[in-house]
Amino acid sequence: MPAPMKIGIISESPADEMAVRVLVEAVLGVDVKLVQPSLRARGWPSVAQVLPAVIRHLHFNTDAAGLVVVVDADDSVVHTAGHEREGYYHPRCRVCQLRGIFRQTTKRLPAARGRDRLLRCVGVAVPAVEGWYLCGRDHGVTEHAWTDGQTSGRMPYTRAQLKMRVYGTDRPSLAHEIECAMREVQRHRRDTRRLENDFPGFESMAKDLRDWKTRLATTASLAKSASLALAKPA
Amino acid sequence: MIGPNGSGKTSLILALQRLRSLARLPLRNPPHREADERIADAPSAGLAACATWPPHKEADGRVADGRIADGHIADGPEISWHFTPPFDGVMAVMRCVSETECDFLDVVPLPSGAGRGDWPKLRVALAGIRCYVLDHRALASRSLSREGAELKGDGANLATVLAALQLHAPGAFDELREALCRILPEYDDLQWAFANDGTVELQLRLADSGGLVAAEHLSQGTLYLLGLLALAYDPTPPPVVCIEEIDRGFHPRLLRDVRDVLYRLSYPEASGLKRAPVQVIATTHSPFMLDLFGEHPEEVVLAEKHGEAAQFSRLSDRKDLTDVLDGGGLGDMWYAGILGGVPQECATQESAPPFETDKTDRSDQSDQTDQPDQSDERGEADNLP
Ligand SMILES: [Zn+2]
Repeated sequence: MPAPMKIGIISESPADEMAVRVLVEAVLGVDVKLVQPSLRARGWPSVAQVLPAVIRHLHFNTDAAGLVVVVDADDSVVHTAGHEREGYYHPRCRVCQLRGIFRQTTKRLPAARGRDRLLRCVGVAVPAVEGWYLCGRDHGVTEHAWTDGQTSGRMPYTRAQLKMRVYGTDRPSLAHEIECAMREVQRHRRDTRRLENDFPGFESMAKDLRDWKTRLATTASLAKSASLALAKPA
Repeated sequence: MIGPNGSGKTSLILALQRLRSLARLPLRNPPHREADERIADAPSAGLAACATWPPHKEADGRVADGRIADGHIADGPEISWHFTPPFDGVMAVMRCVSETECDFLDVVPLPSGAGRGDWPKLRVALAGIRCYVLDHRALASRSLSREGAELKGDGANLATVLAALQLHAPGAFDELREALCRILPEYDDLQWAFANDGTVELQLRLADSGGLVAAEHLSQGTLYLLGLLALAYDPTPPPVVCIEEIDRGFHPRLLRDVRDVLYRLSYPEASGLKRAPVQVIATTHSPFMLDLFGEHPEEVVLAEKHGEAAQFSRLSDRKDLTDVLDGGGLGDMWYAGILGGVPQECATQESAPPFETDKTDRSDQSDQTDQPDQSDERGEADNLP
C-alpha cells in the first residue's frame, strides 16, 4: 500500500476540508495526510490575501507535496475553457485569480525540502460547495445550470436553497454540516467522473491533481536514475 | 448587535431588564382587570420585541431630572416597545422622568391582535427575559446544590445547573456533553465534586490522561462555553436571552461553534427541537463573529451614537449591502468603516461627511472625469499577474 501523500488543504470550514479530502483521495487514488495545524480562510477575498503566505509556509516549513485550494464562486465570473488559453487571465474569475497568485508566489521561490516547488491544485465550486454535494442526487444542480442562469438573468436556485437541500436548513450547525457533507461525497468516492462532468470547476481541480501524479512520478523516476548513476562505479 | 463602545448596545439590554422589572408591577393605567394577576405559568409562545427611543426633551432643551410628579412624565423620554405575534395587539411605553430613570409603564392597545387582552400573557413572557454578563470567576465557583433551577446572570451557579440538567433531563445533558467534547476535543467528560458543605464543583476530564481539571483551572473560554451550552441545552429556556460580549474568551475559529449555540436557541427546529424559539440579543466587537452572519444580515443590528441619541438599524435595511459585500466579508467591511458603527477618532471627526453627501460628491466627479468602462474587465496577457 502506497504511503500517504502529505498535502495542505485550505478551505472555508472544517466540513469543506473533510469533504475535499475525500474527493482528493478519490482522484489521486492514494490516502493523503494533511499538514498540521489545519489551514483555514475566512471566505473570499481572505483566501486570496493569505494564499501567498500559506504557499511560502508550506514550501519552506513543511514537506507537503502540494496545496489544494477550494473556494466558492459565489457570484463571481465562472471559469470557462476560454480562460485556459495560454496567457489569458480573467481578473474576476476566482480560478484565474488563484492560479495567478500561485504563479506569482512560486516563481521566485528557491527549491526547498528536496522539491523545486509546491504543487498547485485549485478548485472553485459553482456557486458553492453545496452544489458539489448535490451532484448525482439533484439532477438540476450543475455548473451549466448556474452559468445559463447568469446568461439569462434567471438563476435556477440560490445558494441558500442549495444549503436547504443539503442540510435541511440554511443555518446548519458545524456538526450537522460535516455529517451531511461526508454523506454526500461518498457517492463520488469511487468514481468522480459525474462530478467532473457536471462541475468543470471540479474537473479543473481533478486535472491539477492528475498532473501532480505525473510530476511526482517523473521526479521519482529522475531521482531513481540519479541515484543509480551515482552508485555506478567510475 | 455591533457598534462602537458607548453606542447604546448595553443600554438596550438594560432597557429590556427595566421593561421586565416594570412589567411585574401594577400599570399606571391598568388596561385589563387581569393585569394585576400574579405572574404564573409562562406562555409557550416566543416573544420578540423592538424598541424605539424618540428623542424627547423639554422646550428649552433641559432634561428633566430626578423623581418628579406624574404630570411631568410627559416631558421625559419614552421608550416604545412593539411585539411580534401573538403579542402584537399592544405597545408598551416606558415613560421616563429623566434620561436614565424610567419608572412608569403604560400599555397602549393597537389595532392588530387582541389589544389590551394580550397584556396578561405578555407580562408573563416579559418576566422571562434573562440577561447575562458571564464572569469566568463566577462560572468557576462552587455553588450550592439547591441553586440549580436557572443560570444566574453572571453564571455563578453553573456547576449546579449542569448537575441538575443531568439529573432531570439526561438526554439534553448527553447532547450538551457531546457538543462540549466535539468543540473542545481535549476533554471527554463533565463530572462533579460534591463537598460536605452542600456545594458542588464542576470538573472536566482530559481525554488523553483521564485526569480531572477543576473548574477554577479551566480557561476563561472553556468556562464561557460551558455557560452558553447550559443556556442552549436547557429544555425550557427563557423567551428572551441577552448576552454581552458573546465572543469574549474564544479563539476566532471557535466562533462558528458559538454561533451554532446561539442558533440552537433561536432556531430550535434546525436542531430538531420542538420548543419555541428564543430571541437572542447578543453584543460583539469581533469582526470574525460578524463574518458568520454574512448570509443573514437581517440578524445584525448596528448601533450608532449621534450626539446623545443612540440609533439602531438592521444591516439588511442598507440598500447597497450586496455591493458592499462584493468587496469582502462583513467583518472587514465593518472594520473598514463602510458599514458605520465604528468609534469616532479625534483626527477624523470633522472630515467625515455623511454617507449620502459622499455619494453625491462622487457622482459629481464622475460627470467631470472620464471613467474607464468597467463593464468588461477581461484581459489578455497584459492583465496577467
Ligand atoms: Zn478563469
